[in-house]
Amino acid sequence: MSLDISFIGILIGSIMASSVPLILAASGELITERSGVLNLGVEGMMIIGAISGFALMVITDNLFIAILGSMLSGVIISLIFGFLTQSLLTNHVATGLALTIFGIGLSAMLGKNFVGIPGKEFPILFLSLRESIPFFGPILFGHSIVLYFAFALPFLTNYFLKKTKLGLVVRAVGDSPVSASNQGINVILVRYCCILYGGAMCGLAGAYLSLIYTPQWIENMTAGRGWIALALVVFATWSPIKVLIGALIFGGITILQLHMQAIGFRIPVQFLSALPYLMTIIVLVVISRDSRKIKLNTPTSLGRIFYKEK
Amino acid sequence: MATDLRISNISKIYPGCVANDNVSLQFKSGKIYALLGENGAGKSTLVKILSGVISPDNGEVFLNEKNLKLSSPLDAKKNKIGMVFQHFNLFETLSVFENLSIDATEDNKSLRVRINEILKKYNFNIELDVPVLNLSAGQKQKVEIIRCLLRSPKVLIMDEPTSVLTEQETEELFISLKKFCGEGILIIYITHKLKEVLSLCDEVAVMRKGKVVSVSHTQNERVETLANKMVGQKLAKIKKKINISKNKDEIFKVKHLNFYSDDPFETNLVNLNFSVKKGECLGIAGISGNGQNELFQILSGEIITPDTSIIFRNKEIAKLNPKQRREYLMAFSPEDRISQAAVPELKIYENVALNNFKSSNFFEKGLVNEKKIKEHSKKILSDFSVNTDNVELKSQFLSGGNLQKLILGRELITAPELLICYNPTWGLDVGAINYIHETLIKINDQEKSTILISTDTEELLKLSDRIAVIYKGKLSKIMPSEEVTPEKLGVLMGGGSID
Repeated sequence: MSLDISFIGILIGSIMASSVPLILAASGELITERSGVLNLGVEGMMIIGAISGFALMVITDNLFIAILGSMLSGVIISLIFGFLTQSLLTNHVATGLALTIFGIGLSAMLGKNFVGIPGKEFPILFLSLRESIPFFGPILFGHSIVLYFAFALPFLTNYFLKKTKLGLVVRAVGDSPVSASNQGINVILVRYCCILYGGAMCGLAGAYLSLIYTPQWIENMTAGRGWIALALVVFATWSPIKVLIGALIFGGITILQLHMQAIGFRIPVQFLSALPYLMTIIVLVVISRDSRKIKLNTPTSLGRIFYKEK
Repeated sequence: MATDLRISNISKIYPGCVANDNVSLQFKSGKIYALLGENGAGKSTLVKILSGVISPDNGEVFLNEKNLKLSSPLDAKKNKIGMVFQHFNLFETLSVFENLSIDATEDNKSLRVRINEILKKYNFNIELDVPVLNLSAGQKQKVEIIRCLLRSPKVLIMDEPTSVLTEQETEELFISLKKFCGEGILIIYITHKLKEVLSLCDEVAVMRKGKVVSVSHTQNERVETLANKMVGQKLAKIKKKINISKNKDEIFKVKHLNFYSDDPFETNLVNLNFSVKKGECLGIAGISGNGQNELFQILSGEIITPDTSIIFRNKEIAKLNPKQRREYLMAFSPEDRISQAAVPELKIYENVALNNFKSSNFFEKGLVNEKKIKEHSKKILSDFSVNTDNVELKSQFLSGGNLQKLILGRELITAPELLICYNPTWGLDVGAINYIHETLIKINDQEKSTILISTDTEELLKLSDRIAVIYKGKLSKIMPSEEVTPEKLGVLMGGGSID
């Protein structure tokens, strides 16, 4: 195997592709958490997105409907979480865990008839540019539209949180729901919106897996990516850009260690498989050491139940 | 235009408690009104109703004869009723400007211009682009006031505004309030501090147990008359204690206390040195957030700092944890009764058992000896006149005053040689405060020592033999309390220097 420039380009391209579901799910969850809601159901929402996207593709033969449908199913399942935690005031952690277990079970049931059906090819953009430009071609071009969206998302999220009025409201609600409520902000509504948005992004992340990354339905195909996304949000100290960095490191080391295994490095396979988790945490901890910034970014009310005085 | 605010027959009933009982009051602009009452008298409920946070069960509010429907804080805002809460409604991690812009309807540029106009007009000195958590309590309050002013309010309600302020800041606040009043804003000032009522307000309504018991002009009132109306009975005056401990041995000595933290919410402490004599009360004054929390935690052993030397009864205890320090007969009463001193979900006797001291036999072979603990708890309840004898009651159902008595009782029943308390009367009413003060004086009379960390200057002057001021983690020189005046304390607490 030669390590020439074009190979490295292809490698980086594949690393980017593998980190897309993490970026999408983590960016969605980041908004949810910034509003003070801890939704541990990311994995469940992703897998529901994956199966509903794939099923809709098979049934309608329309990728656009499939993608939209996966986001909608993420919204619907997160609505359950929203209703329980915001309207019935249940505990965020327990409800989120239940959502994940529910999602995995439901997707396995719904997906029974879809196992073994081949997926459809997802349109790829700028294919000719990918071939004609060495190194940068495979990095910048020849990806699905979802990948471009995913890589823009952390920056959009950052802009939304820092520069827009709505972002300010979301941060305010996450900082102090009581104060926000006393300022006349509808805390419950804001939190519902953030939960549903998080659901939509997780659904899309799932659909990316079943429609684009490995176009088929396999039971439990998210394989813990939802949990990684959750961890990324926390270790990135709720900063969208650091989420992107973390997702890339995780995707990068996952791909690299696969190559290392293939080459036959004399390192135990188990250690190599553990490497992405280890490195991601180490790097994120190192780049987020500034305790001052952590304080300013952490949603103070995260996971706490808010109820309005009457 | 003149403003006329009328509250008519407001009632609000919570399970087991009538918070407001048929309250009717009338306010007119051009005057500052005081709403006076003890904790639990129903002042806060009333102002929450006025600001739309809660809705009354009965009754109506009229502004200029228009019946207001205040079902949310937004309604109050729309009707130009501004409110500065006792516990600030600010977003700590957002910048000052973000805090102010969150409910603004105009664009950021013109908002900034308007804010700067207000800053200039009232001589407020606040940076707009720093996070609120970096501000002092006084500055935070100004941010709250600016937030109200931006909406050109007709009514401004201040809920216990001076509880976190220095003397100087209080004076500044009063000047501002008088200015607002002169500009035609109706001001309702909620407090339980009698002197403030007399020096600031034109009329005073006294509330007791949810009812308005008196409405009068302040020029016809004195501190004593108001206090009696507020409490409903004659109050015994506590005598200021005579300084008897001039030539006593030092029982407690702290050297080179340094503390450094990365946490922006914590204050660094710089080279604190002090000592406490036998039978003495050392007062440590300061505005909250100047390092008192950290100091208390270090003295109690929750935080261990390297290189610090703490000598207690001729032993070095700087490396001991709180439990070990208790065994050396130290006792602690933290500021936060609910979360630090007691576990609210636990029953009274369980809370009593929490600081298990060696001699108590509360625990045998790892098992809880319930009977002993209960007997012991009953004794505390009766010795410290807590208004229940039910040791099975969950601590969260005790009022602040009773909980504080329970905590003090728990700490004192071991006969400690040194009691360290931090804001022991915070948020309590006059009756409970009196009781706590008497207890603290009694401790000193019995030749035991106390360290009183407090933000209440009156309390410090009343109880301390010597006083030092903590400001930004540094301790002023320690002064005998007869040389100290409230003004001096205020200067030091605000970071100034005397002589």
